[in-house]
Amino acid sequence: MSAPSKRHVPLLLGHKKSKAMKRAIDKKVALNLTSMIDMFTILVVFLLKSYSAEGQIITVSDALTLPSAHSEQKVQMKLEIQVNMQAIVVDGDPVVAVDEDLLSTGNSIPILVTRLKDHMEYTNSVKGTITEDDMKINIQGDVGIPAILLQRVMSSCSEAGFSTQNLEVIRVEPEAEE
Amino acid sequence: MAQAASARSHRKRHEAEIDLLPVMNLFCVIIPFLLLSASFLEITVISMAPTEGISTTGAGATANLARSEEDRLQPKVILTDQEMFVGTTFGTVHVCYAFQELRENGEVVISYDWDSLATKIDEVYKTLTRTYPQIDFHKVVILTVEETRYENIVRTIDVCAAAGFDQPGLQVNPSHLVEEAMAQLAGGEQ
Repeated sequence: MSAPSKRHVPLLLGHKKSKAMKRAIDKKVALNLTSMIDMFTILVVFLLKSYSAEGQIITVSDALTLPSAHSEQKVQMKLEIQVNMQAIVVDGDPVVAVDEDLLSTGNSIPILVTRLKDHMEYTNSVKGTITEDDMKINIQGDVGIPAILLQRVMSSCSEAGFSTQNLEVIRVEPEAEE
Repeated sequence: MAQAASARSHRKRHEAEIDLLPVMNLFCVIIPFLLLSASFLEITVISMAPTEGISTTGAGATANLARSEEDRLQPKVILTDQEMFVGTTFGTVHVCYAFQELRENGEVVISYDWDSLATKIDEVYKTLTRTYPQIDFHKVVILTVEETRYENIVRTIDVCAAAGFDQPGLQVNPSHLVEEAMAQLAGGEQ
């Protein structure tokens, strides 16, 4: 079979185009970006509002839920105690398990006091001195812990030399309240 | 006879178009950056005051005297598992009864009427500052029974801070001791 002649090729490709098709090809298609720009502007304003140059310097354990408050006092990087109904954790190390015995009596918890004193001594050996700033401690407590447990933890902190105890909370805006 | 069209009417209307692509490019860069550095959960702290009383870092005798006077006059918010009171040297005021609140997760917890506390503690603050204008009141003691939820303690501290008592102290006692403390406050009233 012979190859198709040159005469047939343009016909097969649809060489002839209508005027409407030619107009459509010449027309420049422009995407309307105005609504997208509007959306992005709102998004940028919202993100700028929640922008934090400092970042979050502390991490909250998944095992506890912090209470909410209107306090505006910034959190500082200090020794952390996490307290929930399962355990008391100091600087990431579980120190004591929370059980009925622990909740039945008051005052300080000896194991916790020892652990905190060790930390204080370590700070003293590294820095050579203990400043007022070293006597601060942050307490992350679960919303459900009873007052007696909090009191025992705070009492232990005082006994170990941590005179300033800061309770960590999630800040809520006054408008966000009911 | 129809007038000839002026040169101005023949001029082609030219619509100005702003090129939004560079703005889009800028937004595409800035949005991921802001998303990464945004903090949606702000964690703050409440500093607890030592409940022992006078600090050793006092500036002078007058200041210490005023501070001790403040310690003597500082109000107590008393939380029991049934009621809430505010105790001052002027007497003990009943604030509200505790009630059970059903949470979204199905948990039933004890809660209090925080609006009532806000009203009462505000009245206490105004009374104290009016009666003792020379003292700057900041201290408050949260006296509570052992079972009180941490959430309620923090909420109480928060309401007191809004009224002006921004140096909270915590005292946890068994129920019978809290009742004794209330009886003492009531005795002081008489």
